Amino acid sequence: MTIRHALWGLAPLLELLVAPSPATAHPHVWATVRSDILLDTNHQITGIRHAWTFDEFYTAMAIEGLDTNKDGIYSKEELQPLAKVNVESLKDFDYFTFVYSEDEGDKMLPLKPPIDYWIDYDKSVLTLHFTLPLEKPVDPHGKPVQVDVYDPSFFVAFSFATEKPVTLAGADTKGCAAEIILPDPNTTADYKALTESFFSQLGPNSNFGSQFAQTATIKCKDSHL
Amino acid sequence: MRIAAGLARVVLFAGLSLLFVATAARAEFKPISPFAATEVAPGPPSAFAPPTAAPFQAPGPFGRVFAWVFDKQQSLQRTLAMSVKSLKTDPLGGALTLALLSFIYSVLHAVGPGHGKTIISSYVIANEETVRRGVIISFIAAGLQALSAVLLVGVLLIALGATGLQVNAWSNQLESISYAMIALVGLYLLAGQLRSVWRRWQHAPVTVVAARDAHGLGDHHHHHTHHDHHHHHSREGHEHHEIHGRHDHHHHSPGDACDHMVDARQLAGPFSWRKVIPVVFSVGIRPCTGAILVLVFALTQGLFWAGVAATFAMALGTAITVAALATLALGSRELALKLGGTNSTWTNMVWSTCAIGGATIILLFGVLMFTASLGPARPF
Repeated sequence: MTIRHALWGLAPLLELLVAPSPATAHPHVWATVRSDILLDTNHQITGIRHAWTFDEFYTAMAIEGLDTNKDGIYSKEELQPLAKVNVESLKDFDYFTFVYSEDEGDKMLPLKPPIDYWIDYDKSVLTLHFTLPLEKPVDPHGKPVQVDVYDPSFFVAFSFATEKPVTLAGADTKGCAAEIILPDPNTTADYKALTESFFSQLGPNSNFGSQFAQTATIKCKDSHL
Repeated sequence: MRIAAGLARVVLFAGLSLLFVATAARAEFKPISPFAATEVAPGPPSAFAPPTAAPFQAPGPFGRVFAWVFDKQQSLQRTLAMSVKSLKTDPLGGALTLALLSFIYSVLHAVGPGHGKTIISSYVIANEETVRRGVIISFIAAGLQALSAVLLVGVLLIALGATGLQVNAWSNQLESISYAMIALVGLYLLAGQLRSVWRRWQHAPVTVVAARDAHGLGDHHHHHTHHDHHHHHSREGHEHHEIHGRHDHHHHSPGDACDHMVDARQLAGPFSWRKVIPVVFSVGIRPCTGAILVLVFALTQGLFWAGVAATFAMALGTAITVAALATLALGSRELALKLGGTNSTWTNMVWSTCAIGGATIILLFGVLMFTASLGPARPF
C-alpha cells in the first residue's frame, strides 16, 4: 500500500467535500433562445426582444391548470397570468440577460422591467416573448456590445436556436452586425475562470452556469452620428 | 470490502446491460420524428416549428465534458417525452422504454450533484455504518423521494385541481423544509460527536465504560480493518501496549485492552433506527424535480400511471447510484484506516476526522442549501 494508492482511495472523500457545490448545477429546464437586438435610427441599442422556447416537460408543468375555459386550447389570454409571473420573477435573476460594453467600463448595463410580454403555446411547447429596454441606449460603434444569456445557477439551460438566434431589428440596421461568440473548447486560458467557478459554486451565489453563457456581440461600422 | 467489490460489479453489470437495451430501444424510435406525436394530434393548423437548440459549448476540457453530459441529458429527456407519447399507440414497448430511460436518466442525474448523495455518503462515513446499512439507507431515502413526488403531484393536481405553478411552489417549500431538517440532523450529529470527543479527553474512564457497553452489544463485525478476524485478540493486545506506552495517565487494567479500539469508533456511534430515520426522512421529503416534471408531463398525456412507474424507476437508479457512492466513501475510510496499520493514534484520528468531518459537511450543506432556497422564487 503506497501513499498514492491511499490518495486514490481517499478521492471519494474529497469528492464529498466539493459535492455540495453545484447542488443546483444541473439543468431541469431547457430554453432555446432567439433574440432581436433593437436599434434606433441612430444605431443605438435600445433593448432586447427575447423569444424563449421551453422544453415539453417544463411546458406541461407550466400550463397545467391554466386552460380556464376548458376548451382544450391554451389561448394567449389564458397564459397571460403565467407570462406576468414569469417576467416579474425574472427581475430577481437579472432577466438572465447580461449586457456589457467595454466603452461603458465593462460593467453590466442596467435593464428596465420587461414590456410587451406574452406567451404562446404551439406544438406542445411554449414560448415566452418579452422586451427588455436598456435603461440608457448603448452605442455599438466603438467597442462591440456584448449580450450574454445564461442562468448562473444553471437550473435553466439556455441555448441559442440553430436558426436566426440573434437578429437586428429597427428601422435601419445597415452597417451593423450581430455575431455569436462560441467558447473555444481547446482553450487552456480558462484556468482562472474554472477555479473561480469551482469555488463560487460552494455558495448559494453559484456561477456554474456562466461557462455555458450564450454570447452575442453587436457592432456597427458606419459613422452614423 | 468484498461486499463492496461485489456490489460495484453488480452495479456495473446492470448499468452496462441497461445501456445496451436502451440503445436498442432508442434505435426503434429513430423513424419517429421528435414532433410526430403532435402532428398526429388534431389541432388548428399552424406554421410554427419549434426552434432547435444549438449544442452546448463551453471553454476548456472540463467545459467540454460538462457540455457533453448536458447534451446527453437533454436528448435523453426528449426521448423520455417521446416514449411517454408512444404509450398511447404501443403501451407495452412504451412503458418498458420509459422505465429504462428513467432509470438511466436518474443514474446520470444522481452521479451529478444533489439527490441526497452528499448527505447519505457523509452520514455513513460519520457513523459506524456498514456497506449493507449504507445501501439500505440509500434505498429508503430514494423510495421516499419518489413517494413524495407522486403524492405531491397526485394530491395537488388530481385531487385538488391545482395548477402546475402551485405544484412548483409546494415543491420549493418541501425543498426548504428538507434542507432545514438536513442542517438540524448535521447539527445534532456534530454536537453529539463533539461531546464524545470532549468527554474522551476530559473524563477518559467514563468513556471507557460506555465504550465497553457498546462493544458488548455486538459490534465486532465493525472491525477497523477487515482482514484477520482470527487474530483479533492478539492484535488488540499489541495495540494496547502501544497505547499504554503513550497514554499511561489513563490508569486502567490490561483487561480493558479492547476498549481502546472501540473508544474511537464509539465516537461514531452504533447503528440505530432512531438515528437513521431523521436522516432518510430529511433527504426523502424533498421530491425530485426531474420526477415531478415527468409525472406532470405523463399526467397531461392522460397517462399518470406511466409517470408513477417512471418515478419509481428513477428512484431505483438514484438508490443504486447513491448506494454505490456511499460504498465508495466507506471504502475510502477503510483504506484510510488500513493505511495506519496498527497505529492506534492514526486510527483514532481517522475516526475522529470522519465523524466530525461528515457531520460538518451535512450541517454546512443543509445551511447553505437552506439559505439558497430562501432566495427569490424562480421564474421557471
